Amino acid sequence: MKRHFSSSWYEYLIVIFIVVVSSLICYFITDLAGYRVVSFVLLFVVSLLAFIYGTGPVLLASALSALIWNFFFIPPHLTLHIDNTEDMLMFVMFFIVALLNGVLTSQVRQRESVIKQREERTQALFQLTKSLSEENDISKLKKMIVVGIRKYFHIDSMVFLSDDIDALNTDGVKTVTSMPHNEIVAMMDCFNRSEPGGRYFSLYPDNRYSYYPMIGNHMKTGMIVLLHQNKFTDDEMQFWEAYLSQISGRFEREILNRIAQKAFILDESDKLYKTLFNSVSHEFRIPVTTILAATDTLMSEQYPENVQLQLLTEINIASIRLNQLIENLLNISRLESGRLSLRVNWYDFHDVINEVTKTLKQELQYYHLTVNIPDDLPMVKIDFGLIEQVIHNLLLNVTQYVPQNTDIIVDVHLSGEILTIKIKDQGSGFSFDDITHIFDKFYRGKSDKTGGTGLGLSIVKGFIEAHKGSVVVYNHPSGGAVFEIKIPVEFSNVNDVEKLS
Amino acid sequence: MSQLEKILIIDDEVQIRRLLEITLSASGYKVYEASTAKEGCVLAASVSPSLIILDLGLPDADGQDVLLRLREWYTNPIIILSVRNSEDDIVRALDSGANDYLTKPFRTGELLARMRAASRKTEGEQEAVLDFGDLRIDLSRHLVILKDVIIKLTTTEYSLLVLLAKNEDRVLTHAFILKEVWGYHYADQPQCLRVFVAQLRKKIEEDPARPRYLITEPGIGYRFRGE
Repeated sequence: MKRHFSSSWYEYLIVIFIVVVSSLICYFITDLAGYRVVSFVLLFVVSLLAFIYGTGPVLLASALSALIWNFFFIPPHLTLHIDNTEDMLMFVMFFIVALLNGVLTSQVRQRESVIKQREERTQALFQLTKSLSEENDISKLKKMIVVGIRKYFHIDSMVFLSDDIDALNTDGVKTVTSMPHNEIVAMMDCFNRSEPGGRYFSLYPDNRYSYYPMIGNHMKTGMIVLLHQNKFTDDEMQFWEAYLSQISGRFEREILNRIAQKAFILDESDKLYKTLFNSVSHEFRIPVTTILAATDTLMSEQYPENVQLQLLTEINIASIRLNQLIENLLNISRLESGRLSLRVNWYDFHDVINEVTKTLKQELQYYHLTVNIPDDLPMVKIDFGLIEQVIHNLLLNVTQYVPQNTDIIVDVHLSGEILTIKIKDQGSGFSFDDITHIFDKFYRGKSDKTGGTGLGLSIVKGFIEAHKGSVVVYNHPSGGAVFEIKIPVEFSNVNDVEKLS
Repeated sequence: MSQLEKILIIDDEVQIRRLLEITLSASGYKVYEASTAKEGCVLAASVSPSLIILDLGLPDADGQDVLLRLREWYTNPIIILSVRNSEDDIVRALDSGANDYLTKPFRTGELLARMRAASRKTEGEQEAVLDFGDLRIDLSRHLVILKDVIIKLTTTEYSLLVLLAKNEDRVLTHAFILKEVWGYHYADQPQCLRVFVAQLRKKIEEDPARPRYLITEPGIGYRFRGE
């Protein structure tokens, strides 16, 4: 854009060349057309040049062609002297017209380029808004902004959010980047004052960098540091301010989001805490009471062997229940922390079922469990521990709510890359309310008479979602409930390993 | 045997030690207890127990380091106690010389069985026929007989079965089995092993879905159960 005002030297050379060549051609036609026609030809050339080159070269072309016309074409030839008053007038007119022509054309072009530039900037702002709203990762947002500033302003920059500045405050300044110590201190001071500073400003004018605070509608969100080569023109400054306000707004939204999220988590953990106190402490107390009472009895008097055995069985059951409770609490805290990472490997699904039926042997002995797994089910890639826990919780749930001496059917099959596991019971099914809330944390069925924390099924959901799968529950038309799990899995192609035999 | 077998327990939980002391003494063992890694190593050297039960979570040292230190000179069995969901630790411990593992909470019956299995000497077992009731493996003639019928196995399936059967009741890690049967190059391909175990189960198990002999230790390896 600046090139219209300060053209490079070769443009002047080209202009001189064109004027000289045109004059040479005219020199040969003067005899035919007369020197006055030459003035029109030269004027025409100058007007053409005005379309291509900036004001400087066009002014030069006007002056040069006027002089050439005077020197070579107006009699007396080869002098700057003009005898004829008419020619004198013509020469002055020529000069003025050439000048006006050049200046006006280049002004039109300049205006056009301003409009184009404005359009580009609007486009840039639009692009910025769009890409900023699409990106949620803070560090990627920062990178995006630095790239944008380099693209539209040709300036290197750094972005510091208020968090970063807080960290600088606490960790000490030396931990950071390529910026010198004094620059960072100045930047932090400008942040505290909410004023721009550094180079080209009255605050810290001797520094190398310029610091611009990002101020949203409600709060300061951070600083942007620029390494200018030139001071912004008014026009650029306007564009920069618009750009800056977009960025500030975006970061403000992000920060407000985070605050809201934190509040939500706090609220949730508060709820978790309360429920732990109400329901879990109760849950813990029952088995502990059982164990205490039973051991007390066993220690105090000599009971017949069958009574002793019964008491020991009770202690055993209570301990298993305690262990189950601890397992569930550990699992829910793994889910809550958001740090659940899958450890997938190849497993035979039979092994999952076998492990679960082994640990639930006592509970399942009163049910008719049928497991249907196709013979050709390949190995699947899952987190064994998590899926085992899922099946465990679902089967345990059935044994707690469904009358004994009924069938439990487990169906497993793979279609495409989706592993489906269905667990069907012959209980009374679920009410609509239960079906919609059954996987919620701490939800307990309306007709729930058994103890329980309401965690088991929410763990199921969490672990299945960790596998990017889904779990639903519905009532079977023939009675009973069906839990249906679908997880996308990789499965092994047995042929791949034939070579090992 | 006039002298009682000596067992050393290295665990920082006093209640676990007490429980083990009661159970093991009742089963005819002489029990020594250590609550720290340091104490454990000293006791191991001074009483030279015939088996050590080592908890991986000790206050003063990493259980894995203690295991390595003991294995520098101690050749008798070591059984690891560990918490659930720590398959990686267990595999590491097994691969660096532990003989077996139990996760807390464990059943004492299981512990006693593991101790007996670990103490059985593999080297002495040079019988020509491994007999597990319905299943017999005739090592001299390379035959596997299930209920008096000869089962056809590929060479790989046979070596896999023999390796597991010779280590009856002991857990073998994936890496160990792969190395023994296929060689070093295959040590990191447990899915291949799983395919072979599945094939083998189809041939020797009555119900391959609920295996009786070839037991999976999820995330760790396999165990051959004789009875």
